[in-house]
Amino acid sequence: MKLDVHCEMLLSEYHEKLPIYEKMKAVVLDLLRNCLDKNNILVSGLEARVKAEQSLAGKLELKGYKYHTLEDITDVLGARIITYYSDEVDIISALAEKMFEIDWANSVDKRKMLEIDRFGYLSLHYVCRIPETLYKDPELPQLNKIRFELQMRSTLQHVWANMYHDIGYKSNVEIPIEYQRNMTRLAGMLELADEQFCRIRKEINGYRRTVQSMVAMGKLDEVPLNGDTFRSFLSLKPFKNLADKIAAINHGEVYEDNLMPYYRILLNMNMKTIGDIVKMSKTYSESAYQLALLQLAGTGLDIVTYSVALQNLCIVAILKKGFGEAGLVSFFNALYGENDYHQQRAKRICEQARKINLI
Amino acid sequence: MKVTINQQNEKTLVVLDGRIDSTNADQFQQDIAPLMEGEKPDIDIDCTNMTYTSSQGLRVFLLLQKSVVARNGKMVLHNMNPHVKEVFDITGFSNIITII
Repeated sequence: MKLDVHCEMLLSEYHEKLPIYEKMKAVVLDLLRNCLDKNNILVSGLEARVKAEQSLAGKLELKGYKYHTLEDITDVLGARIITYYSDEVDIISALAEKMFEIDWANSVDKRKMLEIDRFGYLSLHYVCRIPETLYKDPELPQLNKIRFELQMRSTLQHVWANMYHDIGYKSNVEIPIEYQRNMTRLAGMLELADEQFCRIRKEINGYRRTVQSMVAMGKLDEVPLNGDTFRSFLSLKPFKNLADKIAAINHGEVYEDNLMPYYRILLNMNMKTIGDIVKMSKTYSESAYQLALLQLAGTGLDIVTYSVALQNLCIVAILKKGFGEAGLVSFFNALYGENDYHQQRAKRICEQARKINLI
Repeated sequence: MKVTINQQNEKTLVVLDGRIDSTNADQFQQDIAPLMEGEKPDIDIDCTNMTYTSSQGLRVFLLLQKSVVARNGKMVLHNMNPHVKEVFDITGFSNIITII
């Protein structure tokens, strides 16, 4: 590659400033990561790179005359945020606008550059500076002067960009029109898929909110039992009273564990709605407590898990419905995996249940 | 209570011998302190000769379990005698600790 004197000077400036760009890369990544964490935004990718020497030389060879100094090249440092959904790009860009100084004259929303009958590279590029209010290193004042490029795109936009780059740029020959047409068709398909993912997510969120409000309003018979509704139901701490009562047997405490493993068990027990679980709780709560009282009184065991309440409710329901020892063994197998010990445990519980006239 | 810890390749083998109660739960916690270190622990605890645990012992097991989960590891208790297993069952600890 043959570069003129001006471009060679820019390249030598690049070598000199490389440590600053590397430091800036780490700072930008940290700032972006913290911002995403603080705003509870999950992204598919967060990356940054300092342009490689060869890549910069290639750019200078093509249009080095445009740049007076290295700092005129705004993408020597490039950062990229890849979102899961296309509508999250706007959220990220709003955060970037709050965080960084944006050089609007050089920022591009490529999503808006396309004609209505064109598809293709859809991405948002901001040229930014780190404001001193956000980060300052007295020994490196250049960190607040040098601009960098921040790309924001969805996962599918990223797929498109990568594939287009691989197929389009690597080829030494101009791509024939029929292949370009096929690429354009694919771009349109990805854009539609992006929209559909957003729509589906919105609908699912809407469904979740509806179900959560039904649970909160107590319309539990109308709420089908599924993983989502069970999780919402659990957030209301429906077994807290029983767990507290069981812990109080030895003036103890409740350790809050996760009840989600019971979801499949309750389905197996033929529970169809959240209302069915509430009915089970109301019907068998006293018996579940009596069973715990028989087991725990006098033991001095002053810590129980929250799940012990639902565990005892299920045990009582199984026994009251006449499934006996075999039912309990199936219950324990489903909950913990098969184990010979479950037979002994089921037998012991049945003996205890007889003592308190549960069966 | 006697605690023996051996490292076998990636797995940490622990043997418990005796009872854990209010008189020795603090010592038990100190004895198992080495298990609270390291990434992705794979801990196998042999309870064949563990004769009893009080709730103080359960709390130490809970601490260890939380530490193991936080480090993306796993912990299994096995060969527990029926009386000790009953303590784990009636307190609900069987729901949070893997016992085989």
